[in-house]
Amino acid sequence: MTAKFKLGVTLYSYTGDFGTTMTLDDCIADAVDAGAKGIEILSETHIAGYPNPTDAWVEHWHGLMAKYKVEPICIDSWIDSRLRKGRTLGVQESLDFLLKDMALAHRLGFKVIKPKLGVISDDLIPDPVWREVMERALPTAEKYGLTISPEIHAPTPLKSKTVDDYLDLIRKTGTSYFKMLIDTSIFKTREGRKLKPGEWADPILAINPRDLIPYLPHVSLIHAKFWGVADDLTEGSIPYDKVIEALIECGYDGYLSSEYEGPRELYAGGDQIRRQFAMINRLSARG
Amino acid sequence: MLEPGVIQSRGFRNRSEGGRITGFQVRIRTPYYRGIWASLLEGADVIVDGEKFDREKIRWTIGDRTLTLPELEAATDVRWPFLEPAILTVPKLGGLTVGMHDVSVSVALRASYFPPAFGPWITKAERKLALVA
Repeated sequence: MTAKFKLGVTLYSYTGDFGTTMTLDDCIADAVDAGAKGIEILSETHIAGYPNPTDAWVEHWHGLMAKYKVEPICIDSWIDSRLRKGRTLGVQESLDFLLKDMALAHRLGFKVIKPKLGVISDDLIPDPVWREVMERALPTAEKYGLTISPEIHAPTPLKSKTVDDYLDLIRKTGTSYFKMLIDTSIFKTREGRKLKPGEWADPILAINPRDLIPYLPHVSLIHAKFWGVADDLTEGSIPYDKVIEALIECGYDGYLSSEYEGPRELYAGGDQIRRQFAMINRLSARG
Repeated sequence: MLEPGVIQSRGFRNRSEGGRITGFQVRIRTPYYRGIWASLLEGADVIVDGEKFDREKIRWTIGDRTLTLPELEAATDVRWPFLEPAILTVPKLGGLTVGMHDVSVSVALRASYFPPAFGPWITKAERKLALVA
């Protein structure tokens, strides 16, 4: 069987270089040279003048997409529930932030928006306002053809209250504009990094990548998370052989958005994306 | 383009007010991977050559706004963009001496997607900086 998925890059991967050694244009040129067909950006990082970019900036963005023959795949957005010290945001305030970024996403041509939600517990249960916020945002999502997609990321497993609640929203509303963005951190089987004392690391959930298959109708995008691909084209923490095998088997035809989260050393992002793409292409060729 | 570390070489200088040196300034880029609303900040503690300067007395200049800590914490409409360093103005009568200084800046901010039990997220940056004049 052949792989049907497409490769993309989230510009998060260039965090160490963006504004240091590379402009936005440089990051996109580099990702495309590495093989990306789609680009994910962080609204608050990569849009100059956020939340109100000039028309000239928006035109420049569309020009970049055309010049490099690449498409906008996902825009990351934040609902900062702790914006005010002492109390969390209510439904309307949260909705206002989301709607503003959705309008921006539409203006820039994105089809998926990833809202990062505030949480209320150690196991990252989203602030309960999320449900009404999403329900009230759905008519706008439909109007724009924009799929709202919160991320499922370690330590949240597939079998969790959070995922059940998201699926319940989809079932009860019948919407096709609310899905999940799956981060491959949930497939991590070992700690591939040498951690500094006190350094945070995603916990090991060791979910079998095949367990994702039944959820795929409700998945808009997959973050191909990684911390480092070695010279032998293996990733130290995530068994990409099994991930790619499962995605080929189920015919996943969406994007893998490459997200390098290793040390922010200068020039690491571009090098690591190429290593990861080489790894994925080699694994895909095995079929 | 900015330097890779949080603490920038550019902008490190003594500050004069009314003909006398009342303090010094350090210019920092965000330690975060995104721009934020200023109200998510809970200030920054600065240490120079072992002398600690508490966040309560440090003013932040973001764009054309200069804010005390309480003003910063209320600034839900002020953005600290990813690519635009902020200037910290630290009171110290007489300022710092010309030459090399060990500078440390700890920025505290709230990340709404971390467990609330974590409290504010604090990142500490350290480097040597040259004060020129």
